[in-house]
Amino acid sequence: MEHSDPTKVAILGAGRGGRALLDLLHQIPSIEIVGIADRDPAAPGLQRARALHIPVTTNVPDLIGNHGVQLIMDVTGNPEMETYLKTHIPPTADILSGSASRLVWKLIQHESKLEAELLQAEKLAGIGSFAAGIAHDINNPLQLILGLAENLAEERDLTVVHEQALDIVEAVKRTSAICRDLTRYSRRASPHEDVSVSINAKLDEALKIARYASSFHDIEMIKRYHPGAAVKGNPDEFLHVLVNLITNAVHAMEQDGGALTLETHALDGQVDVRISDTGCGIAADKIPAIFEPFFTTKAPGKGTGLGLYNVKTIVNRMHGVIAIETKIGKGTTFTLTFPNAEQAEEECLS
Amino acid sequence: MSDFKSGFFVGGEACNGRVLVVDDEPDIRKVVKMTLQKAGYDVLEAENGEKAIETINSGENRLMLDVMICDIRMPKVNGAEAIAYFRNNYPHVPLIVLTGFPDTDMATAFLRQGVVDYLVKPVEGEKLRSAVARAMEQRELARL
Repeated sequence: MEHSDPTKVAILGAGRGGRALLDLLHQIPSIEIVGIADRDPAAPGLQRARALHIPVTTNVPDLIGNHGVQLIMDVTGNPEMETYLKTHIPPTADILSGSASRLVWKLIQHESKLEAELLQAEKLAGIGSFAAGIAHDINNPLQLILGLAENLAEERDLTVVHEQALDIVEAVKRTSAICRDLTRYSRRASPHEDVSVSINAKLDEALKIARYASSFHDIEMIKRYHPGAAVKGNPDEFLHVLVNLITNAVHAMEQDGGALTLETHALDGQVDVRISDTGCGIAADKIPAIFEPFFTTKAPGKGTGLGLYNVKTIVNRMHGVIAIETKIGKGTTFTLTFPNAEQAEEECLS
Repeated sequence: MSDFKSGFFVGGEACNGRVLVVDDEPDIRKVVKMTLQKAGYDVLEAENGEKAIETINSGENRLMLDVMICDIRMPKVNGAEAIAYFRNNYPHVPLIVLTGFPDTDMATAFLRQGVVDYLVKPVEGEKLRSAVARAMEQRELARL
């Protein structure tokens, strides 16, 4: 049958279009990218290909002639390449070039826009559940500020006045930090290029956000961080992944409390992020569905069913993989494995 | 000295009654204590529902605790659980909810359970003191 053998694809052109195509096709199991070519050895698509262990070349005739290619995708935007391909096409291959490849490029851009919309929609839906946590964290310092200010109006002891005025300043700072954290989180993920992100710092930031979404009372926190653990990606998107996984872990322990363990490990050019709970676990028959869009086990109005779908999309884009270990009544561990950021950088340079 | 009794004198000042403040935030306990002490109340603190239950079950508090002011969102035994315990075991102690999260349904449910007042932070000192005074009147009636 046809779908047992992957379609062999060659990508010509490793600029923005080539790189986006590479990222997309790389995620599709029925497609094998036999190689990507560009005249410029520093083209962004070539760097990405090296990180993904996809063959890179500057020799177009070799790539299209010698690897059993079935589909040549020309995103060079170069009319000469189009002419060249017409005369040199191997008999077994199809060509996608010119306006057809521009159409594919538009579709890819459209899809990535839709994905960004979906991510933002889910994030905003989630923020609705922060109301109780935000109210708690804002009204408590306000109570302190009000009480101290009322006292200051009558206070005669200058030492006390001084002390309480400083307490008010601290309380105001704490309150404004809440707004800062939340606006940073709720904004649309910035479209900037991938950067090296400190995983440990992001875990701590995610923890702060997740505290608004769910009560951490009766939850023991365990952190085991590998110093300097880093990953390449979009910091806003990666934060969203961690908030999602931490929130799920805490929800799983809603009934009886438990321990939330956050770990990072770096080994052999890979970095692992592990988020474990000792909660209710996931039933074996549900596991295949949890990354599907709109799948949720939460009560209506409680979950969008988009959380883990977005997690998977982002992790894939970061060239990571997700592993789940779970046992009913014992807990769940989500492990994200990424190419180490520093390692990826070195590979690009070599 | 067997102090801390309603209307008794403590350290030369009138003691209008003993109030237990239950909140996981030390800042809130501090400021509520300060506000109520000015009105001559003796104030005890507990950081969660479990500690509140411990407090009322220890020594003279069984008899001497006049009013409990309770937060809702707290670790261990939360406010709702603590309130249920107090209603069942110490129904004569008037309860005031002081919460950071206004929720009408929750307020109605608590008032139905006999909670005297449902206050939302931040609450002014005057309002808090008058809520405690009202609760204290109830307490006096319960004593009769």
